[in-house]
Order: sequence, then structure tokens, then C-alpha cells
Amino acid sequence: MAHQADAKKSLDERGYTGALIHGDNPLKLFEKAVRDRIVDSYYWKEQCFGLNAATLLDRALELTFIGGTYGVAQKPTPFLCLAFKLLQLVPEREIIQYYLEQAGEEYKYLRALAAFYVRLAWEKDEDVYTTLEPYLSDSRKLKRRVREGWALTHVDDFVDELLVKNRVCATTLPKINPRVFLEDEDRLEPRVSALGDELEELDQEEEELEVDSGSEGEVEELPHGRANGIARTGSDGEVVSDEEMDGD
Amino acid sequence: MADRNGAYDTPGGGGGGGDTAFRRTWDRSEYAAKASARDQKIKDEGKLRYEASLAGKKYHARASTPPEGTHDTEARKQRLNVADLVGKQTIVVTGAGQGKRGKGAGFYCECCDLTYKDNLQFVEHLNSKAHLVAAGESGEVRRATLKDVHERFEYLKRKREEERSKEVVDLGARIEVAMEVEEREREEKRRKRNEKRRKTKDGLGVVEVKIENDGIIC
Repeated sequence: MAHQADAKKSLDERGYTGALIHGDNPLKLFEKAVRDRIVDSYYWKEQCFGLNAATLLDRALELTFIGGTYGVAQKPTPFLCLAFKLLQLVPEREIIQYYLEQAGEEYKYLRALAAFYVRLAWEKDEDVYTTLEPYLSDSRKLKRRVREGWALTHVDDFVDELLVKNRVCATTLPKINPRVFLEDEDRLEPRVSALGDELEELDQEEEELEVDSGSEGEVEELPHGRANGIARTGSDGEVVSDEEMDGD
Repeated sequence: MADRNGAYDTPGGGGGGGDTAFRRTWDRSEYAAKASARDQKIKDEGKLRYEASLAGKKYHARASTPPEGTHDTEARKQRLNVADLVGKQTIVVTGAGQGKRGKGAGFYCECCDLTYKDNLQFVEHLNSKAHLVAAGESGEVRRATLKDVHERFEYLKRKREEERSKEVVDLGARIEVAMEVEEREREEKRRKRNEKRRKTKDGLGVVEVKIENDGIIC
């Protein structure tokens, strides 16, 4: 079993025969504009040619920042190019899990890359949630390239974005059901936050504040025992706001 | 009697040489051989078709199998060396290259005898089917198994740790190295400053042309 060294055949819209993700060519998860930028970039042509799931590690371990496209000319980041390569290769589940768990334990950018792939490619919502949620406690710092300049984020921040936001790293993520919905359907267990008891105490403090000062718009009512990142809507707690590609 | 040479051939030039040495010459015998081989192939195929039609069947041409001895394509182990000749002056034979063919100024591919003016075009060529065939690669990559991924990861981890341990941490040595680098840079600056100050014929000095990133596309 072999796959092509470059993506020309898979990019050709006609007659694609290969693994399907969400019922279509995996490469179509990226928009045409982004796909073109990636394929025309020097990084893709020089370093992403002829990679397979093992040699991709060479490149992934050298990553030093995450990001989508940046600059006036919408130059793709190496992170984005490698994600595109993963979509072309469609590695086995166990390989991606290896990237996430064991290899990602030591190399955080590889973990971010694998998490991005999981969110894009895995079709069952429950799998996405159960696989990515453990990393909501990984607080290592990540460097992120934004349209103009750099930003600081963390692994758990990034994973949270993947689970909550619509658009991350120059791609519109495929729709998944919100966690609340899945819990109602009994497909998932209600989330046990890593904060655990501290969350209850926090809620109590906020309620007290509310009683004292008369509620202001800032204090949010968090339902007890629920996820703190997922169930919140319209939260203003995100440090890294929408600095992604235009057209957000 | 008019000379056998053509209008552009000078008698002293020899064999179409002289003024026209830069023009491309064709090896007639090679092309004659190619033409006769093609004719032969057409004849053979025609014969097969005729026999097939006699038997009442249709002749199907067999698709050519990829040449034997091709090995799997692999990713590049090192970055392409494109910044080597930046700032250096080399002498290039004028007649050596026609368009992309032949060795001219720029990035040269030996397998295919092509020159590219641009590192982007060069790397595109290296990825192209034509070059892979010329280099004996099949253009297919072996699929990796979980075991391969494991091994590769362990190997890379080990290599990185070795490199990290090899780094010189001794402060004294680092100071020396830094001082040497600084000296070298100072010399370069001094030299450039002197060159600029030196007056040229029209009194403008030496013009420094700076291209973004030394002209290398990345």
C-alpha cells in the first residue's frame, strides 16, 4: 500500500478515489483559497513532498508555532501545511492517537497538530469530545502566528477553541453538536471538570457577589457541575480573540 | 561554384561554427534512429491489429508498465542548498544553455539537464513526474505503520538529545566564539566602508544592490 508523494492527484476534483471524510475528499476541508496558498508555498513543495506518517514526525518536531495564514499575501504556516499533509495521508486512528498521547507528551506542537486533525477528520462527535477533553488540562504555552505578528496561547486554550469556535487556523471547522446536546441524548456523560469542587466554590462566591452588589452584566450564571468552557455562551474570557483570517 | 556552407557558416569556422556557435545543433543520426524505431512500432502494431480483426476480435494495446528498478520516493532528508552561491561570481559558458536546457546560470538539475532561474521553479521540477522518472523514483511513498511511527519517533528523540548534549555550555568557550564572530563582522564593515569612500570615475561610489532575502524564495 502506497500513497502519492505529492497531492496533485487528490487535489484534482474529478475522479477522487480514496478515503472520504464527511463524505468528501479530505482536502476539501480547507477552502480553495487556503488550499492554493498551501500548495504554492515553498515549505509545502520542499518539505512536505514525499512524507508519510513516520517522516512527518521529522517536520512536526521542528514546528515552533501554530497558526493559519498570515501576512498580506496569506502565507500559510508550516503548521497548516502539515495539517494539510495529514489530511492527504489520512493516517490510521492509532497513529493519530500516538501523536496525541505519547509523542505529544513531549512535543506540544505535535499535540496541537494532532488535535487539529482530530477535530477536522473524525466524524463521530463523541469521539472528538472524549479524545480532546483530557488535553483541557495541558497548560503548556504555544506560540501562535496571527495575521500581523504573534500571540501567546496555551494547549488547553487551543483545544477549547477547537471544541467551541467555528473557525480556527484559517479553516471553518466541520459542525459538531454542542456537548450539552450530546449529554441530553445520553451519548456522552456529563462533563466532570478538572476543577471539580473548586468550581462549586467559585459559583458560590459569584452568587454572593451578586447578592451584594446587585447583579451586573459581567457575572455569568454557570449551571452547577457543568463544564466551564463548553456550556458558556458569549463568554468574554478568551484572551486570544478572533485574529484569524479575514472573512471571519 | 558556391560554397557548400550555408549563408551563415563562415569558412574558417569549421562545422557550422564561427559566429553561430551559440545556436543549438541537432544530432541527425539520433533522430533518424528514433524515426525508424517509431515506424517499426507502427508497423508491428498494425500487424497485430490486422491479425486481431481477422480473428474477429479487437486489438487492445497493453498499457506500459512502469520501468523496473524504481524505488519508493522518500521525503528530503536535508533542506535544499539554494543559498550556496549567493554573492559569488562564477563564469558561465554562453552557449551551454538554451532556455531551460543545458547548464547555464542558476539552479541546475543533472539528471534532466535543465537549469532554473529560481529556487521555487527548481523545487517544483524536482517534484515533477519527469524528474522522478529520470532519477529512478516511482513517485509513490510507502505507507507507514504504527511501528514505523514509533521507531521514527524514538530515533528522532535520541538524535535531538544527542545534539543538545553536544552543545558547548562552557562560558569561556562561548565568549571566545562570540568575540571571533564580532571581529569578523567588524572587518567586513570596515572593508565595505572603505569601498564606499573610494571615489569612482563618475564620483558616485560603488552602488550596493540589495535584493530581498538575497533573491531566495522561501
